[in-house]
Amino acid sequence: MERVIVIGGGGAGTAAATITKRLNPELKVTVFTEFSDIAYSPCGIPFVHGREIPKFEDLFLSTVDRYREDGLDMRMETVVTDVDLHRRTITTKNEPEGFDQLILCTGFYWEQPDVPGANLEGLHYVKDIRKSMEFDKQLDSMKRIAVVGAGPICVEMAGGLARRGLQVDLVDEGPWVLHELLDPDVAKPVHDSLEERGVTLHLGTKVESFEGDKDGHVRAVTTADAVIECDAVVTGLHKVPNTKLAEAAGLKLGTTGAVWVDDHMRTSEPGVWAAGDVCEIPHGLNMVPIVGLTGAHAYAQGRVAAVNITGGDLAYDPVWVPWGMVAGDYTIGGFSMGENLAKTIGIPYVLAKGVGITKARYYPGAEKTFVKLLAEPDTLRLIGGVLHGGEGIKERCDFLAFAAKRGATLYDLAYMENIYSPPIGALFEPIQIAAQNALAEQRANRLAAAT
Amino acid sequence: MSSLSDAKRNLRERAEGALRRAVLSELGRGQPSTVEPYRPKGDRFWRMFFVPVYRRIPWSAKERAMNALGMTAKGWKPPERKPREPWRPPAELAARAPAARLEDKSTTE
Repeated sequence: MERVIVIGGGGAGTAAATITKRLNPELKVTVFTEFSDIAYSPCGIPFVHGREIPKFEDLFLSTVDRYREDGLDMRMETVVTDVDLHRRTITTKNEPEGFDQLILCTGFYWEQPDVPGANLEGLHYVKDIRKSMEFDKQLDSMKRIAVVGAGPICVEMAGGLARRGLQVDLVDEGPWVLHELLDPDVAKPVHDSLEERGVTLHLGTKVESFEGDKDGHVRAVTTADAVIECDAVVTGLHKVPNTKLAEAAGLKLGTTGAVWVDDHMRTSEPGVWAAGDVCEIPHGLNMVPIVGLTGAHAYAQGRVAAVNITGGDLAYDPVWVPWGMVAGDYTIGGFSMGENLAKTIGIPYVLAKGVGITKARYYPGAEKTFVKLLAEPDTLRLIGGVLHGGEGIKERCDFLAFAAKRGATLYDLAYMENIYSPPIGALFEPIQIAAQNALAEQRANRLAAAT
Repeated sequence: MSSLSDAKRNLRERAEGALRRAVLSELGRGQPSTVEPYRPKGDRFWRMFFVPVYRRIPWSAKERAMNALGMTAKGWKPPERKPREPWRPPAELAARAPAARLEDKSTTE
């Protein structure tokens, strides 16, 4: 019987394993994971800390037994220490196990702050649900938490911990939170929302060290501007692809340092595949490889690997990265890139900006939705955008990412069809409004140039 | 990873960081609730020399350079970016497993 080994039990690993087994039940599929749990949503952890979700158990979507019932060979709390591509074996507990096909889904780890004191007790990284359960118990006796980093996980943690009644200090080098995703015109509502929850922002400053007590537990964060006392630190700087096994085995790495894969999730070694945060994927606009994508991307890549391992021919498309989240109580989202990143890379763009509403203007609870789109100056094809405000941000960002991938232009969006139903949609769709505004501006500019 | 790869990655990070800080500073100026980004030691050279030089290069030339230097993905097809037929499962796959069974919404989010 042909044997498929999957290393990693996150979104990519579970998708790859379960779908491989379903598509070809004759295969022996073994999953190795160093953790005791599988099939839970780590994305939900900040909301349990914030008491928006009652308990961690709610984040579990399936059980190890259920996978075993489905015919998977589950090796929990089993660390793979070596991959030998020549012999086609992996090693666990000093015992080699052979494979015919190998899928690497070893995920990521959080970048550790490169400052003194980073190894103190009390620095918490949001990843492993068991550690988060322990941390949650400790939070009951804590008063003040420092959050280092202003990326999505840190902003969600800061908002959640403040909601729970803890005093939260968020520290970042950037000039506004989420500055790698958001443009500055969205900073104020996001900051206001976090501050209303009780988060104190320390932006534009660098963490210089973590200070500990005599027991080696963190008690303060020293920044370039202040000393912030704390009972614990939550940190989430950047996701680093966990390539240790792949690198030691001699698999090709890409320009980001993550595992190189082609559009079928094949690595440089025949019969060896990779999916999820361990590998790099090109951005659809410029084909430059990127890392640090979402759980939804990881799952989809695991599915592609499974289809191809079982004889299919399925390509994974370069990504347009729709994203969205709630910062404090304020919903933000986007796709591909905002002005910030386009300008950093040097990609030319024109802007389409508009403000619409989420329901008919006379319907109670209508909220403003702000849309900013970026398009190529000559063709007006979409290249990115940032949205914020009321309901429907997530759906609009998903739609816009897909529209950009298919080459939609501001002309297409200005005259798109839309739903008008008072409780769920206004007469004019906010995306339409932004695109119409941009076309009107283009016409005015052309007229001005002609006269 | 080799020291050459480390050096290349370090150079890329420094260059990206300098470009990003310059843009953050410019875009954030005058916007409510924003501050200046933190500037690490050694930023001056990158800000005064590299950023202006990089910005003078037209995007088309940058794109060509990225391709020539191997900075774009290999083994991937650039997207067509025009409407096309919806995806359908390959015939042999569809015969083996109904499309609905490819989804396992119960296993992850």
